[in-house]
Amino acid sequence: MAEATEEQVSYWELIKNGILKENTIFRLALSLCPAIAVTNNVKNGFFMGLAVVLVQVMVNFTISAMRKFIHQRIRLPIFMLVISGWVTIVNLVMDAAVPDVYREVGMYIQLIVAFASILARAEMFASKNRIVPSVFDGIGMGTGFFIALMIISAFRELIGKGQLWGFPIIDAKPLLILILPAGGFFAVGILMAAFNWVYAKYFSSGGHSH
Amino acid sequence: MTTKDILKIVANLVVIYLVGGAILSYVHANTSPIRYQNNIIAEEKALKLLIPDADKIEKMGDWEIHEKHGKYWKATKGEEVIGYVVLSFGKGYSSYIKTLIAVDKDFKVMKIEILDHKETPGLGDEILVPAWKDQFVGKDFDHIKLVKGETKEYIQAITGVTISSRAVTDDAVKNGVKFLIDTVKGGGAAHGGSH
Repeated sequence: MAEATEEQVSYWELIKNGILKENTIFRLALSLCPAIAVTNNVKNGFFMGLAVVLVQVMVNFTISAMRKFIHQRIRLPIFMLVISGWVTIVNLVMDAAVPDVYREVGMYIQLIVAFASILARAEMFASKNRIVPSVFDGIGMGTGFFIALMIISAFRELIGKGQLWGFPIIDAKPLLILILPAGGFFAVGILMAAFNWVYAKYFSSGGHSH
Repeated sequence: MTTKDILKIVANLVVIYLVGGAILSYVHANTSPIRYQNNIIAEEKALKLLIPDADKIEKMGDWEIHEKHGKYWKATKGEEVIGYVVLSFGKGYSSYIKTLIAVDKDFKVMKIEILDHKETPGLGDEILVPAWKDQFVGKDFDHIKLVKGETKEYIQAITGVTISSRAVTDDAVKNGVKFLIDTVKGGGAAHGGSH
């Protein structure tokens, strides 16, 4: 019984790790390019984030399941094959299941193949750990990415367009630059600083060493 | 690298390709009929939105542009022909842009709709923005022309998306309208003359 509780705690730790300590965008600064490209409105950010969670979990699961059979020398090409396979599946299924959404975010879904964050987790975690922890790591990292995309896209859409999910919120002249790519860099920079400030103040344990 | 390593690598790759290929073809086989149906539904919905006044939009025939399969329709309200719709393609930066164009009976554009494209993510989608597409409303064949900079008379290019906006304007729409004029107008005039 005690052991099970301990395991649960560590799974929760894995998820928290992906959201806070090793947040793909705000802490590791990985996959910033798609983070800027897709986040000019909340809807895109939402579906992109969802697709990333799914792909990250499935990739971690697959890589972890076959980690003992893969030859070290060709592990990276194999990771890439697994990633592109899952992205293609998500792509095809989304096209069939939610065509309206797919029309808007379909092109970005294909970009997931090139996400550094997914390859990084396959290499750093899934290829060295058992299946269950790898899946939880995938959920954590994916959710961290999802949350980051939501924060950035909400910030950009709200200030750049005065809207959220297409609904008008602020009735003032919006700061258009925020929805343009250049504004994306500003937004990510500002939010990254804010995230790290909050993280350092409230979440990092006092005893850590630099 | 020993023979054992080489064999293991080959086995790894063969298994991955086979299993991956099998899964992908399974998913593709199961989703492609749905995607095909979705496309037909999307096309019907788009047609209705293009000419909301029409009671009936019936297909007149097929045509070919860039070796793609285009179609054209006649929109009627009661007995009267109120316009035509043509499905056309424009050769863009990285894809053929699938465009529906509705014209009234004088062959002035009523509305255009982009059904599908695979242009640069984040940039090419600018052609989907209604404010840009609305520029086509009321333009006749001679005024469907892309120009850079401010214009009311012609179609204004989107900065940074010139190739995609040119593909829609000077390729898909212009050729589509030209096709309609050549095909339908000729027939229509002869028909009208016989009365």
